[in-house]
Amino acid sequence: MNYHQYYPIDVVNGEGTRCTLFVSGCEHKCVGCHNASTIKPDSGHPYTLELEEQILKDLGDPRIIRNGLSLSGGDPLYPGNLEAVGRLARRVKETYPDKNIWMWTGYVREELTPAQWDVVAYVDVLVDGPYIQAERDITQPWKGSRNQRILRREAGDLSL
Amino acid sequence: MTDIIKRDGSRQPFDIQRIIKAVACAMNDAGLRDDDFVASVAESVRHACEEKETVDIYDVQSRVENIMMRSRYKNAARCYIEFRRTRDLERESRNTLNQEILGIINQDNEQILNENANKDAKIIPTQRDLLAGVVARYYARQHILPRNVCEAHDKGDIHFHDLDYSPFFPMFNCMLIDLEGMLSNGFKLGNAEIETPKSILTATAITAQIIAQVSSHIYGGTSINEIDRIHAPYVRKTYDKHLAEGVRWIGEEEKAKAYAMERTEKDCFDAYQALEYEINTLHTANGQTPFVTFGFGLGTSWEERLVQTSILKNRIRGLGKNNKTPVFPKLVFAIRKGVNFSKDDPNYDIKQLALECASKRMYPDILNYDKLVEVTGSFKTPMGCRSFLGAYEENGELIHDGRNNLGVVSLNLPRIALESHGDEQRFWELLEDRLSVAKDALMCRIHRLDNVTASVAPILYVEGACGVRLKPTDKVSHIFKNGRASISLGFIGIHETINALYGNKEDGQHIYDNEQLREKGLAIVQRLRSAVEEWKKETGYGFSLYSTPSESLCDRFCRLDEKEFGVVPGVTDKGYYTNSFHLDVEKKVTPYDKVDFEMEYPHHASGGFICYGEFPNMQHNTQALENVWDYTYDKVPYYGTNTPIDSCYSCGYEGEFDATARGFECPSCKNRDSSKMSVTRRVCGYLGQPNSRPFIKGKQEEVTRRVKHL
Ligand code: SF4
Ligand SMILES: [Zn+2]
Repeated sequence: MNYHQYYPIDVVNGEGTRCTLFVSGCEHKCVGCHNASTIKPDSGHPYTLELEEQILKDLGDPRIIRNGLSLSGGDPLYPGNLEAVGRLARRVKETYPDKNIWMWTGYVREELTPAQWDVVAYVDVLVDGPYIQAERDITQPWKGSRNQRILRREAGDLSL
Repeated sequence: MTDIIKRDGSRQPFDIQRIIKAVACAMNDAGLRDDDFVASVAESVRHACEEKETVDIYDVQSRVENIMMRSRYKNAARCYIEFRRTRDLERESRNTLNQEILGIINQDNEQILNENANKDAKIIPTQRDLLAGVVARYYARQHILPRNVCEAHDKGDIHFHDLDYSPFFPMFNCMLIDLEGMLSNGFKLGNAEIETPKSILTATAITAQIIAQVSSHIYGGTSINEIDRIHAPYVRKTYDKHLAEGVRWIGEEEKAKAYAMERTEKDCFDAYQALEYEINTLHTANGQTPFVTFGFGLGTSWEERLVQTSILKNRIRGLGKNNKTPVFPKLVFAIRKGVNFSKDDPNYDIKQLALECASKRMYPDILNYDKLVEVTGSFKTPMGCRSFLGAYEENGELIHDGRNNLGVVSLNLPRIALESHGDEQRFWELLEDRLSVAKDALMCRIHRLDNVTASVAPILYVEGACGVRLKPTDKVSHIFKNGRASISLGFIGIHETINALYGNKEDGQHIYDNEQLREKGLAIVQRLRSAVEEWKKETGYGFSLYSTPSESLCDRFCRLDEKEFGVVPGVTDKGYYTNSFHLDVEKKVTPYDKVDFEMEYPHHASGGFICYGEFPNMQHNTQALENVWDYTYDKVPYYGTNTPIDSCYSCGYEGEFDATARGFECPSCKNRDSSKMSVTRRVCGYLGQPNSRPFIKGKQEEVTRRVKHL
């Protein structure tokens, strides 16, 4: 997997103070995509174990509290990303059961494959659906167009 | 025949009698008389000039000076020079006086018109006030300030703040009103006897009256310390009244109580709404909306909690049909472990409300209880935007309300650094000289109040705002002694000072990135602190060190220094000097790192300080804002959140407007009509709305350069 950006402290992608990873690779190719440069899976830099360790370390930083990890892109559920993203998400949840994971995907919940559900199993908040230019609305938090949904495990939105 | 070219460029025939008169005068001033000498001086000047067609007046004068200095009458020479300099100064300032008055009439002196973002210079009362200020400044410079102080101020070595009011008028800077004493003991306002209020609605109405009166008599900020505690008894009275009514009409006690609570909550909300409107529509005699600050947050009773939530809910709602962000009163919310810090504290819900409010309206700023006590000796709300009193006791009891600050004089630290040309030793020497002028200046402030009687400001001294009830004929000076009042040395531009002293080398590092430079910055502030401690011991007055915010000052010092030293990279090249000890606004660091960088300073500059973070829109992420607030708790006493809260009345956009050369612009619909937007920025400790009242240039520049810390 490749990634584009890693922000060790971020407050604009999900609630609370977060570590945010923008991965490469996405098959939706939405018109007006906010991160068009991330669509190609081989764009950006290789995601390494070293970075993964860094993310885990940052999440546990005793000085600056992180409420959790945010995964965006590109699409973290892009088939080629599932393995790496799944491992990261699992390790985060195992190490920090109290920290949450937010994820942005262009797929809709109803059409997720079993392999994607295996990853979503670690996710607390899933913002789903492609970006649709005609439904653009930036007044709502955490999403770009009205069709997208903020699905919360707490509210039962992510149970099968 | 020789012509003299005078200062204004006009010509006049050479007249030897004028020289004779001037020299004789100087001799006389020195207690001497020697007519032959006088004649010989005049004669040799005439001789030197007679060949020439024209001679400059300055030339004539320096010839006289030189001849006299070479003679045995050195004292007379000094008198001559002194006399001339005074005359020059007078002439020059008479000129400025005229120009400044013209500037107000023609509305073209940006310096005066926009000096204070809180004054609307287009309207007549403000113009009258500005005019009074120009005259007061002129008179003070001519007749009240000691020569050395006046010169140091004019040159920009120091800044004698608020010269347009003080020392011409015997006024002081800012204060904590003894509102509790005034409300519970009653007072006289004009011809009316005001009694203790019987409801919260009356209490807030009277509070507004008091604020209006007080702020017309002082030039700095008016603060109310712990307004929740002070207003609580009137909330209780309101409740009791409604309860009695409920019992009478409903009978059943439980229902009557519920009725009384609901009515009281409504009354309370309305009361603070009215108070907020009142303050925002007030115009004091100073031609401005009063600088008012409400401190609250520590009370845990039902009444105090109700006051807190009413203030916050009103603020969240905003003013008028567009729900515009109010600029006043400034809100300062106290956070204390055990009260509202964590989830199981009784007022944690109100902290959440405060977070929501800060994310939407920038205020409240927060006071971290424990840190504030550690740094300033006791808990209190800042006077104005950032001035803090030290601990002071009367009869074994800590007193805060009714106390005040006598004013500020600030040092131009970057100037000293520029003058020392990288020589640290020289810097420290020059600093000592400047400190001694600053002390003279501050003593002048203090002494201006020496023989003043209570009658100049009955609301302050006779009716209780200062916590005393003097007779109109009583002198007031004793209430400023023994640390009851503070008097502050201010400083500006630690960032530029360090750059000027150490940054001119190739490897010039940013103070943020270099541990040694950080220590140098602290060492300067530590020396300033020890100086005020010495003065305190010596005089008995409450000298304190204050982190200067003055918005016009960051521009003035830099402008003067650029004139004298040219454009020095990292020092005079930006058009402003950085606020006190603050991190350079262009440095991109996290709010956490910024807090760490600044946290040592308030300990030393304990007479006034505030720390800020620049945030993106946090309206949907108050949890992240809370993380930062919590982080500050044991690090800085006083913290403000800067976040974009602009709104467009045309398209409904909320966020940050672009500052373009043609004014502020909505990024969503490109609206530039300033009547269809609300744009709010932090100007000093206060908020300002630069779309309706422009900031002065240096400030505007600084505001545009601020980088977000997240
Ligand atoms: S899903 Fe997101 S990343 Fe993928 S194309 Fe659409 S907007 Fe771009
Ligand atoms: Zn707009």
